[in-house]
Amino acid sequence: MTKRVLVAMDSYRLAECAVPVSCYICGVDNNYNTELCRHCAAPLALSHQARTQGLRPQMVAVLGTAAAGKTVYLGMLLDMLTRQNGRVQVLARGAFSITLQQRTMMALSNCRFPEKTPNEPDRWNWVHCQAKINSKKNPMELIMPDMAGEAILEEIDHPNAYPAIHSFLEKCSAVILLADTDRIERGGAEQNYFLMKLITYLSEQDNRKVRGKSTRPVAIVYSKADRCEPCFDDPELYAREKTPNLWQQVQQRFTNYGFFASGVAGSVGFRDTPGEGPTAVPLRIEPRGIVEPFEWLVRKI
Amino acid sequence: MNRYVVGVAGVAGVAVLAVGWLCGIFFMALATLLLLLALGGGYLAYRQYTLKFPASHASGGARSEGSTPSNSTRTSTKRTAEDSQSLARQMLDQGRYSLLLRPQIAQSIPPKFLQQAQDLLDEEMTLVPGGETILGRGVSTSTETPEYLDGRVVQVEGFYLDRYQVTNEQFHRFVEGGGYEQISLWDPEIVPALLEFVDQTGEPGPRFWMNGKYAHGQGKHPVVGVCWYEAAAYARWVGKRLPTDPEWVKSGSWPVPLPGARPIQRKFPWGDAFDQNRCNLWGCGRGATVPVDQFQDGMSVGGAHQLIGNVWEWTSSRFGAWQSGSTPLVLDASMRSLRGGAFDTYFETQSTCDFQSGDKAIARKRNVGFRCAIGICDLIPDESMQAEEAPAQVESYEELAEVTS
Repeated sequence: MTKRVLVAMDSYRLAECAVPVSCYICGVDNNYNTELCRHCAAPLALSHQARTQGLRPQMVAVLGTAAAGKTVYLGMLLDMLTRQNGRVQVLARGAFSITLQQRTMMALSNCRFPEKTPNEPDRWNWVHCQAKINSKKNPMELIMPDMAGEAILEEIDHPNAYPAIHSFLEKCSAVILLADTDRIERGGAEQNYFLMKLITYLSEQDNRKVRGKSTRPVAIVYSKADRCEPCFDDPELYAREKTPNLWQQVQQRFTNYGFFASGVAGSVGFRDTPGEGPTAVPLRIEPRGIVEPFEWLVRKI
Repeated sequence: MNRYVVGVAGVAGVAVLAVGWLCGIFFMALATLLLLLALGGGYLAYRQYTLKFPASHASGGARSEGSTPSNSTRTSTKRTAEDSQSLARQMLDQGRYSLLLRPQIAQSIPPKFLQQAQDLLDEEMTLVPGGETILGRGVSTSTETPEYLDGRVVQVEGFYLDRYQVTNEQFHRFVEGGGYEQISLWDPEIVPALLEFVDQTGEPGPRFWMNGKYAHGQGKHPVVGVCWYEAAAYARWVGKRLPTDPEWVKSGSWPVPLPGARPIQRKFPWGDAFDQNRCNLWGCGRGATVPVDQFQDGMSVGGAHQLIGNVWEWTSSRFGAWQSGSTPLVLDASMRSLRGGAFDTYFETQSTCDFQSGDKAIARKRNVGFRCAIGICDLIPDESMQAEEAPAQVESYEELAEVTS
């Protein structure tokens, strides 16, 4: 036997639940009050902001191996662009967009590198910001996630393992590829092959091609170049000499590409942490070559 | 002296020419004039040679003295006095005044030059009195240590510190004076690597110079692209040394001694609050080095300029000597201490007087320079300072060893 009960009808709640919100990254529908997308775990705040502002943000991917310096690069870039009135300025959209910058800067100012980005997409930091460029009349909306290097590698080897990465790379307008100069200098070929994989993946995924080459702008940034001064002098020459396969692949697959060098720590020491082994410690912070690749990229978008 | 010789030769020449003209033997007169000029020129060349190579000249002179002992002794004494004078003048011109004030040398230098050297010392160096200073503040990772007990108290003896960082112009004198060829100036372990200390064109000199010269208009900028060994060699050449870590911190933080308590010392040379208008750091927006005499407002109490900002400064101490805590840094023996921050230092917390950074001793970076120091005890006593300078004291030999290491 059924019993009838009276329930107060919150019509607005019903209305909210009736209209799904599609994730800006993967396009899957979600409930209105959900925080993260149920499919790719991207924050739905990105979708809400895009809808309320009536603008479609461009996506910029920062990719590289684990410990290549993606978090430090992104955090430093945002802090530098919000701190000074240069040729490019950035305005964060939503408080969540400042978390990455805050964590990175807090760590660096205490002579520590930020903690490793976890592999779980729901723990990644996403940045949504407005970028103003001196020469451009209209500001640009940008979304830049800080994704884990191991997750990127997993996605490349097994497509769709990480829907967030798959969808993001499919839609992104520009890519910053970080190559760890320290590891290249130590003679490892890991960076070379990882970046070759990435370039292949990106160029094959991209549908916007001219004469078989992807038109998506790609900035290849040699991170931690403070440990190799010649890299700053001529990054393209450095690429040709130290990572010839990568250099060749980039030329053959992309029309818009540029080589850059960047560094954040002026000098690095090591701390023997019990149970973790030696961990790198920045002895001072002196950013160099951080803004240039980003500025080049946003002008190309 | 030279101008008298030229004058006399000129007058004689004109006289001979006039007499010859009057007598109608013009060509003879001209030949005589040329002869006189040649004699004068030869004498001048000889003078130049003796000025340039005083030692060989002296020894050569000694060999020829055997035939006429009484005359030659007088000549030799006179020449020695002249040589020491010209050497003193040369040293003053090269900015090596502190060498003249060394007790071993000062006794053979005329008082006039000593006074000039003393004036230059007062003008270019600041006197930092001896006393206590706290080192290693903020290094400890332990949260149990309260801030007012953080760091170690170290006793420092009185010393002179350069008011300005060493400039390109000053370092150029060292390069021109053959500093890179004088092996005695260099630490023995680095001598095999000396050939690597070249500029962009392969000439001996700082890394970012070209053809053994600094870039146009950079004369008053601090010299950069020099490793710790080059800095130490320069310091020896001018008769000074690199400051120790405690000395550098003391000159910047200028501690106020308190009876029975730890001294109070400031974070920045101008006080405890950061002010980006007083120093050349990243936030200042210059993005490069500036002349060493800029940012007058950032001067220390003693009168040292730009201790904070512009370029990091090498000190003689090893990096990490003052670290404490449960997880110390794994130190490379070749790491040397850097102090003060540079034009590209991002955080002001990393440019305080307390903050220590480090780099490999052979690193030649675009934002690392140095300034020199010299102990009061290494110089002849300055009578004007006698009343002010109290004898320095060291608490223990262990601390002294650390300070001077």
